[in-house]
Amino acid sequence: MFSHTPGPSRITRRRWAAASAGLLVGCGSQPAIAPAHVSITRATRYDQRLYATIREILAAHRLDVRGRSVLLKPNLVEFEPAGAINTHPLFVHAVYEAFRSLGAASVRIAEGPGHRRETLDMAEAAGYFQAVPGFENLFTDLNLDDVSRTHPGRQFSSLEKLYLPNTVLRADLLVSLPKMKTHHWVGATLSMKNLFGLVPGAIYGWPKNVLHWAGIDESIADLHALFPRQFALVDGILAMEGNGPVQGKPKPAGLLVAGSDPVAVDATCCRLMRIDPFHIGYLRLATRDARARLAEANIRQIGDAIAGAATRFEVPPDFLGGHLALS
Amino acid sequence: MPIDALINQQNPDGGWPYLRGTSWTEPTVYAVMALLAASQSQAASRGFAWLAATQRADGGWAPQPGVGQSTWVTGLVALLPVAPLGETRHAAAIGWLMDTVGRESTLAYRVREFLLGNSLPPEQQFAGWPWVPGAAAWVGPTSVAMLALEKERRRNPSASIERRLAAGRHFLLDRMCGGGGWNHGSARPLGYDSDPYPETTGLALAALRGVRSPKIDLSIEVARGFLSECRSTDALNWLRLGLIAHGHLSPDFRPPADLACRTTCEGSLQLLLEHTGGAGFFWA
Repeated sequence: MFSHTPGPSRITRRRWAAASAGLLVGCGSQPAIAPAHVSITRATRYDQRLYATIREILAAHRLDVRGRSVLLKPNLVEFEPAGAINTHPLFVHAVYEAFRSLGAASVRIAEGPGHRRETLDMAEAAGYFQAVPGFENLFTDLNLDDVSRTHPGRQFSSLEKLYLPNTVLRADLLVSLPKMKTHHWVGATLSMKNLFGLVPGAIYGWPKNVLHWAGIDESIADLHALFPRQFALVDGILAMEGNGPVQGKPKPAGLLVAGSDPVAVDATCCRLMRIDPFHIGYLRLATRDARARLAEANIRQIGDAIAGAATRFEVPPDFLGGHLALS
Repeated sequence: MPIDALINQQNPDGGWPYLRGTSWTEPTVYAVMALLAASQSQAASRGFAWLAATQRADGGWAPQPGVGQSTWVTGLVALLPVAPLGETRHAAAIGWLMDTVGRESTLAYRVREFLLGNSLPPEQQFAGWPWVPGAAAWVGPTSVAMLALEKERRRNPSASIERRLAAGRHFLLDRMCGGGGWNHGSARPLGYDSDPYPETTGLALAALRGVRSPKIDLSIEVARGFLSECRSTDALNWLRLGLIAHGHLSPDFRPPADLACRTTCEGSLQLLLEHTGGAGFFWA
């Protein structure tokens, strides 16, 4: 299937120490942890330089998608042009071009927004039609796609079955392209929470309230478990803090975070936002059998280090308050 | 959308897709409404046959036949004329709507909350309808169910239907945003004001036809504001219906010529508005 071997990275004394700590964590009752690779890349603007930056990120992760079908899943939430709510359209196009250049047989873009029914109108208002040539032909509205019944593999939630769009189920690689945002229900919305947009509104409504009753964190963990072949690339150039995912404040973080393990990517994003990943419910669930996967020592960084790139995000005021934040 | 294009989109099984592919209940209902309004009875009859074949044993309809649960789309089917749908089928659909409430209004949920010591929030006092049974009630499905039940009440007056309608009106008025108009659900989730959406504002106004109050006046003003800036055919269709319901849509109004019409639902509702003003299907 896919090769996910990351490129070489310089081993410093600090990284050696961190890796050793990871080994120690792994020496307990937990099974040995194969470290995930996550890249942190500085990018301060949505401009033409993004195209080269994204190509370099994918090259560092050595993704082999030749002859495969790739599905890009941005986060499209509101009628808002190029702000802090939706994944930026130029970022999505840069990712699209990068996967095309890697020899993917097909690259499609798909989303099923949770609040608004008029997906293509919203994409137009968000600038996707202007940024992505031929967008309408490349795009699938997952809210209205034909569906198949699935059974969440891990049963974290109370959902016995889940209907999901065929376009997603047939893709060889699902690429989650979230916006880096705080979230008033789950603390942070990143690559895993972005999977809520796979769930079809035509079956479950707007919003997809069935998932809330089944447990938001649990449903995120179930969706994550249903898709073992993922890549995550987080748009943290202009992020959001405070009362996200819609009413928060723009937060220029200037970061792109990527990797083949969405759990490791989201845990790293949390640290970059100065949020403790061990207090994010869906990350705890997804690592129930190996909580040490969340440990910083067990995530091998490529590119920038967390310490230099992290910036404190204002957390949703009613969400666990100080428990979320890293000291 | 030209009526010929709508007919061409009909699947061989008699139903319609949202865009292309499998037949779904929602686009099929809207397409049948538009075809009836345009006196295209042959294609409409095939649509009715598809609907007749896909009704579930509990009286409701699933979003598409492969889905094993009746949902809010039952309210849409119940809006169709009774005779071609069949009296028995229609009665079963009304029965399904009458039996369905948001999970927060079920006895089991309320007993559980009582035992946990949680008081009933004021906005949960009145029952609405969910998208899917087992979930909470929301503005969209509540509005659709109310349109169907109001139509049935006029045909067959009933105290039980009137009670559900009265509760539905309270449900919607309690969820109106502070400045008028409607979001999907609560007006103040987690203590923050929610912003109104054009499509839900139009839907709720249509369902509250005949209700007079300063709150409604405020929402009519919000809807009129949306009408001039809206960039979505779906939202514009519902805004027009909501304003027509309260006699506040100018007869000179025309949707922007460059506005895209992308789905069967959007095209059908637009056709319906052009042919009949929507009145015959939503509240006659």
